[in-house]
Amino acid sequence: MIPLYRPGTSYLHRMPVGAKFLGIFLAALAASIFRENLGVLLGIWAVTLLGFRFSGIGLRGLVAQLWRLKWLVVVLTIPQLIFLTPAEAGFNVARVLAVVLLAALFTLTTATSDILSSFERVLRPLDPLLLRLGLSAERISLALSLTIRSVPVILSFYADIREAQRARGMRPAPRATVLPLLVMSLRHAEETAEALAARGVR
Amino acid sequence: MTPGATAPAAPSTAVRSIAQMAMFAALVAVLGQLPAIPLAGGVPITLQTLGVMLAGAVLGPWRGAGAIVLLHLLVAAGLPLLAHGSGGLGAFAGPSAGFALGWIPGAFVVGLITQASWPLRLWRTITGTVLGGILVVYACGMPVMAFQMGLTMEQAALINLAFLPGDLLKAAIAVALTHSLARAYPAPFSHARSRRRT
Repeated sequence: MIPLYRPGTSYLHRMPVGAKFLGIFLAALAASIFRENLGVLLGIWAVTLLGFRFSGIGLRGLVAQLWRLKWLVVVLTIPQLIFLTPAEAGFNVARVLAVVLLAALFTLTTATSDILSSFERVLRPLDPLLLRLGLSAERISLALSLTIRSVPVILSFYADIREAQRARGMRPAPRATVLPLLVMSLRHAEETAEALAARGVR
Repeated sequence: MTPGATAPAAPSTAVRSIAQMAMFAALVAVLGQLPAIPLAGGVPITLQTLGVMLAGAVLGPWRGAGAIVLLHLLVAAGLPLLAHGSGGLGAFAGPSAGFALGWIPGAFVVGLITQASWPLRLWRTITGTVLGGILVVYACGMPVMAFQMGLTMEQAALINLAFLPGDLLKAAIAVALTHSLARAYPAPFSHARSRRRT
């Protein structure tokens, strides 16, 4: 599982996580509120393109992002052309793409670990409130790191199941694959809980 | 056990819940990456929403919704855990943002109805999965989609009709899997088992 983050040293990379998030959030909000305004749309596209240019991700990175969004563009464009005029459709697609690309810029220039640690920092002062719900910043962080660790484990369970099915000449039917995956995953969750308890995690 | 050795402490409910939610968040992520069912027109659909329905049905309302919250936090932090390796903040900025966020109340409602009693009742599981896994998710997703794309609610609903057969099929699979699992491995259904009545 490779994070979408691209390491770099640009100004965008070095910006504090909170400030960057707020800036991008406000730009997305502006695009949604002033939805009919061509000036705002062009402004946000300009910011997005400059962001890609100066973060060192560049045109190739932008094209790669657009390629990732190909299904979004297809699902977005076809109904627009049925229901709206081509000009309106073009405007809407351009606005949605600008906002999505701007948000992608945050993801591309901010390390996952930095986002998670700033998230934990935001949660810490809320601990007394969280405790009333049986939660704490520490428990949430533990759950997040367990999730990251579990993805490759479940992928290996899936590979085992598929191999066993192939050996028996079975075709991959969703039901026959997901049931053993569920049982193996839940058993693994129980083992993980026991391992945590043995290490003194309450 | 040798005399003098102490038995390892049994995991507390909180620790077990954390492990189960983390595992289910990862399972929903993996179901979004597996070879998908190619739909007419070439747009592939994945089993990710099957995972959302199962999270609620198996773990119950609180842990089920919690698993989806965990998944979304990691997606927002930049991991490619949504369908076809998409992710990052952009996943919550596009027209489908409402559907992804709707998974949280969706899984909650699935769990609330499905695990209202133990043993599970088939009609309750069907109602819960369709109501929570499809209706609640659509109710959250369509307004955002209509707003983002500049369409009316009726037009957005019409587009979503294309996804309904796939979602109904996934709901049927989720119901069958939930009842098979409840027989084969009932331990995780603790929400329903704690309110044993018919």
